[in-house]
Amino acid sequence: MATEDARYRQSSQYELWSFSPAQLAALREKTNSAARSRIAERLSSHPAPSSNGFSVSTSSANTPDPDGTSTPALPEFLTPAEEGLVVTFYTSELLRAGDHADMSDEIKATAAAFLRRFYVTNSIMTYPPPQMLIVALFFGCKAEGSFPSITEFGETFGKENPEEILAGEFLLCQGLRFALDVKHPFRALRGAVMELGTLPDIEATRIAAAERRARDILRFSPLITDAYFHYTPSQIMLAALSLADRGLAERLIQQTFHYVPPQPDGGADDTALLDAAAATTTTTTTTTTTTTTTTTRHTPRSGGSSQEDRAAIIGSHIRDKVLGTVEACRDMLSKELPERRGHWTNKAVIKAQIQPIRKKLNKCRDPERWNLVELQRARREQASRKADSEDDEPEANEGPTGRGGGIPGAGADGDVFGGGGGGGPGKRRTVVEKKGLDDPFGPAL
Amino acid sequence: MAVSPLVAPPTDTLERHAPSRATSSPFKRHASAAPSSNGNGNGNGNGNGNGNGTARLLGLGRAPSSAAAAATLDPIEQMNEDEKRKYVKGKKLGEGTYANVYLGHSRRDPSVLVAIKKIKVQSQYRDGMAPDAVRELKYLRELRHPNIISLLSVFSSKDQNLNLVLEYLPLGDLEMLIRDVDRVRYGAGDIKAWMGMLARAVWFCHDNAVLHRDIKPNNLLIAADGEVKLADFGLARAFADPGRRMTANVITRWYRPPELLFGARHYGGAVDVWSVGMVFAELIIRAPYLAGNTEVEQIALICRQIGTPTEDNWPGVTRLREYTVPSETVPVWGRDAYVGRFGAVGPDGVDLLVRTLALDPRKRITARGMLEHGWWRSEPKPTRKEDLPRKSEGGEEKMGADLKRRNGLVEDEPNARGAKVARKLDFGQAK
Repeated sequence: MATEDARYRQSSQYELWSFSPAQLAALREKTNSAARSRIAERLSSHPAPSSNGFSVSTSSANTPDPDGTSTPALPEFLTPAEEGLVVTFYTSELLRAGDHADMSDEIKATAAAFLRRFYVTNSIMTYPPPQMLIVALFFGCKAEGSFPSITEFGETFGKENPEEILAGEFLLCQGLRFALDVKHPFRALRGAVMELGTLPDIEATRIAAAERRARDILRFSPLITDAYFHYTPSQIMLAALSLADRGLAERLIQQTFHYVPPQPDGGADDTALLDAAAATTTTTTTTTTTTTTTTTRHTPRSGGSSQEDRAAIIGSHIRDKVLGTVEACRDMLSKELPERRGHWTNKAVIKAQIQPIRKKLNKCRDPERWNLVELQRARREQASRKADSEDDEPEANEGPTGRGGGIPGAGADGDVFGGGGGGGPGKRRTVVEKKGLDDPFGPAL
Repeated sequence: MAVSPLVAPPTDTLERHAPSRATSSPFKRHASAAPSSNGNGNGNGNGNGNGNGTARLLGLGRAPSSAAAAATLDPIEQMNEDEKRKYVKGKKLGEGTYANVYLGHSRRDPSVLVAIKKIKVQSQYRDGMAPDAVRELKYLRELRHPNIISLLSVFSSKDQNLNLVLEYLPLGDLEMLIRDVDRVRYGAGDIKAWMGMLARAVWFCHDNAVLHRDIKPNNLLIAADGEVKLADFGLARAFADPGRRMTANVITRWYRPPELLFGARHYGGAVDVWSVGMVFAELIIRAPYLAGNTEVEQIALICRQIGTPTEDNWPGVTRLREYTVPSETVPVWGRDAYVGRFGAVGPDGVDLLVRTLALDPRKRITARGMLEHGWWRSEPKPTRKEDLPRKSEGGEEKMGADLKRRNGLVEDEPNARGAKVARKLDFGQAK
């Protein structure tokens, strides 16, 4: 049976949407620069009508020209850092909108992950974040199995014309690379709490208080940071629990990775060996759900052959690794504790940090992508022009092109979503060392 | 147009997420968030108002350039085009209201066949991407198992239709084999092989916390090598957290378990296990085991053939909101009663069947329990998949027909609520 780790490594969350910090930064850099050059091209090839407020000519007079070209009318573009700030701001807006509509934790969290994933490979200069956040909430409902009427949904957010939401839905779905499943740490927290409840020496009130605080953190901190890109749900859960009550989190980790190799003199403490069944559910390094910490049963010592396995799965080396990972995640979450909700709605902060970027954004938006409804209309028109040939079109084309990547055959379905990004499917890889930057979008879908 | 959520007019249209009216009152939130939302709302609103106006002007003013707009592709669009170009779409295998299904092949290796399921934009569902498509995409994307149909790729065609590239399963489905009594002969070893593959598929779904909710013979497709593949995840959903309600209106009637017929809103993997039991029975007797024409009739059949659900055999059943049974109580039949009709699979097989058809879902065998059952190890051994009986013709069309089918919620009884209200009366008359 596959371990939870192996299971998680098959998820789209791991395959497509997990990155090391360096990879993520490089991706965003690339998205930003690609958007700059496309928008520059589009702006200069289609000079905007002067009445529309783009006023490119005036703004660029004292703008440094990033590309070193001398095109006169280019606006100043956003930097990757500015884009990041704006995405964070709109993630906060998304969470508030979800609160306003009384959505479940899962829906809000899925929508937040959708928004942030979308803007990894799409620039906020290309598609409008205020609109996309509503689209993300709408599609988040659907992905979590709730199917609201678009009219009522639009009304909730003061949009009389829901066309814009629908126009963005497919765009978002495509930007998510059609991966709609987001794995969250909420159930893992429940599991941890149940696990802690079995320990005799910990007071129930302490556990309850830690759970409340940890849940509050999970509702905000990981969603508004890059935590979901870098850490597994159980790591995020442990980090949140650690912020709530460090002792409890460490206790859980110690409890799980407790294996001590027997001493030569026979004096080792071997009373707490995991049995084989529990061991199959393994390593918290990438565990996903409630069983982060498997129920450890005290069994008599079994044959020595499995001792190395045990050490590799629940030994001190793994424990230290987990502690380190959780600590790093904890650092990330601690920068956006729930108390920071107020920061992102603070008038002065918005005025000082967000408004200037918005002003810049008004001038450097993609003229051909920003209006979702118009974009969809253009696409539909184009499609209807081709409608007659649509069904036969692929055949009518000029034959095999042999573009790059391998074509998944029906027989080799294991790797079609791109498990082949290095190493076999079963090979243990951590998030950090996973993907090569040569393939920044990850393997072909 | 207001963009900030907090300047939106208060409504409770999403109250399905709201535990109570009290917490869903937006006034409270509105008031408490007002100081910050003012500043935010203003800034936001201004920025966006301008933005929208601008963009709209631009778009309208430059209609001729929209073709050019769509012609220059962003990276994500380019990736989609590349993906689409990996496959060549061939003849239409089936056309339905929900989807069209095409035969296709890999452009690079034409010997690799695929089925391309093109989801149609539906006229009756006006809220964007249809629920079946969302569910199918979500779950098939994550579940990879030899006995679950493989989603090989996804791309959008130019009219923003979703295209699912699925593995090609040319040998039809189990329903075809079951029905063709004249030409298809099979025995206990064959049934064991098919059931084994079905049980593994269901176990894998449940182990990944996914309920299929529409298991039936024509959703069990057969690959070229004889492998059975569970398909059609248009009704699937994740296991709900405890306390979260789900719809009872799922699973095709003949395969629907008593708890759903009684309107249970909290349920688990046991609903799929009942369907597996029904498929098992059908494989043996080569006809649907309990084929009710209405929900009322379905319940009556269950009561007559398996036993009447009562507080004795199923504590709590009478509290299910649509619990009604014929007044004449039939005791739950023992194993012996099944031997006559289902004895072909041997005593162990009958034992497994009876366990899948336990009325009380808490007493029903689990998917994992099925895999651990002794029947698999008793004689005869399951037939090797390449030796399984198969039909040579008609499979391709059958796949087309199976995949194009609109799944959605169970639609056979449009006035299901009313029908259930009238149920007691019906039983009265029948008697």
